[in-house]
Amino acid sequence: MIAVGDKAPDFSLPDHLGRTVTLAQFAGRRHVMLLFYPLDWTPT
Amino acid sequence: MPAVEALLPRFRAAHTQVLGVSVDSVHCHANWGKDLGGISFPLLADFNPKGALAQSLGLYLEKAGITDRATVIIDSGGIVRHASSVTPSGQRDIGALAALCEEIDKASTGPCEDFAPPPGVPEGATLYIKSRCGFSRATMLAMDNLHIAGKVPVRNVTEDPSAMETLRRIAGKETAPCLIVGETPMHESKDIIRRLVDATAPL
Repeated sequence: MIAVGDKAPDFSLPDHLGRTVTLAQFAGRRHVMLLFYPLDWTPT
Repeated sequence: MPAVEALLPRFRAAHTQVLGVSVDSVHCHANWGKDLGGISFPLLADFNPKGALAQSLGLYLEKAGITDRATVIIDSGGIVRHASSVTPSGQRDIGALAALCEEIDKASTGPCEDFAPPPGVPEGATLYIKSRCGFSRATMLAMDNLHIAGKVPVRNVTEDPSAMETLRRIAGKETAPCLIVGETPMHESKDIIRRLVDATAPL
């Protein structure tokens, strides 16, 4: 697992509303919380 | 995810953009979001190549072909401030994560932008859809996910001849889905969804 203090790699992925979302678009604007989960229709 | 949706105001106040990630496709995400009563933060499809983002963070479970149930918080400078796993069968404490984001935001010295209130759905908008049409369905799913189903009138031109007549008169053709605001038609489902997203849940 990536470690605290590491630089996060950029990514570019489509979302459920058809947007392309990148990490770079939040740089200097917002923190980002990534919630990974095994599959849709599983708990939070 | 509904627990996250409920606490979005706290994450937003802490200048934190929440992003859900799994190996499911965008279509799967959209349908799941609807089942949950709407998800107005992005669910990312780490679908093609499968699990690429999870792999880059060491969170992909190769044998099972799924990602771990893990949380990574990255500050506005791009540095990882938190990384943890509750294992695939575990459950996250979203309240504790909100508190953690508030702490990280407080300690952060980098620039941060407030979440501006969205402009809202355009006045006098009506959505025209067709039955058995994937593009119409995608638009309706987006409306559900953005919590605006019922706020924008929807007319089905397959079932309602008068709706078809109005669509033909204003848009000059029978193509649906079509979002009409005032007398101005917008046709492509991608453009319509983008318009609705910008109005209600911009990033």
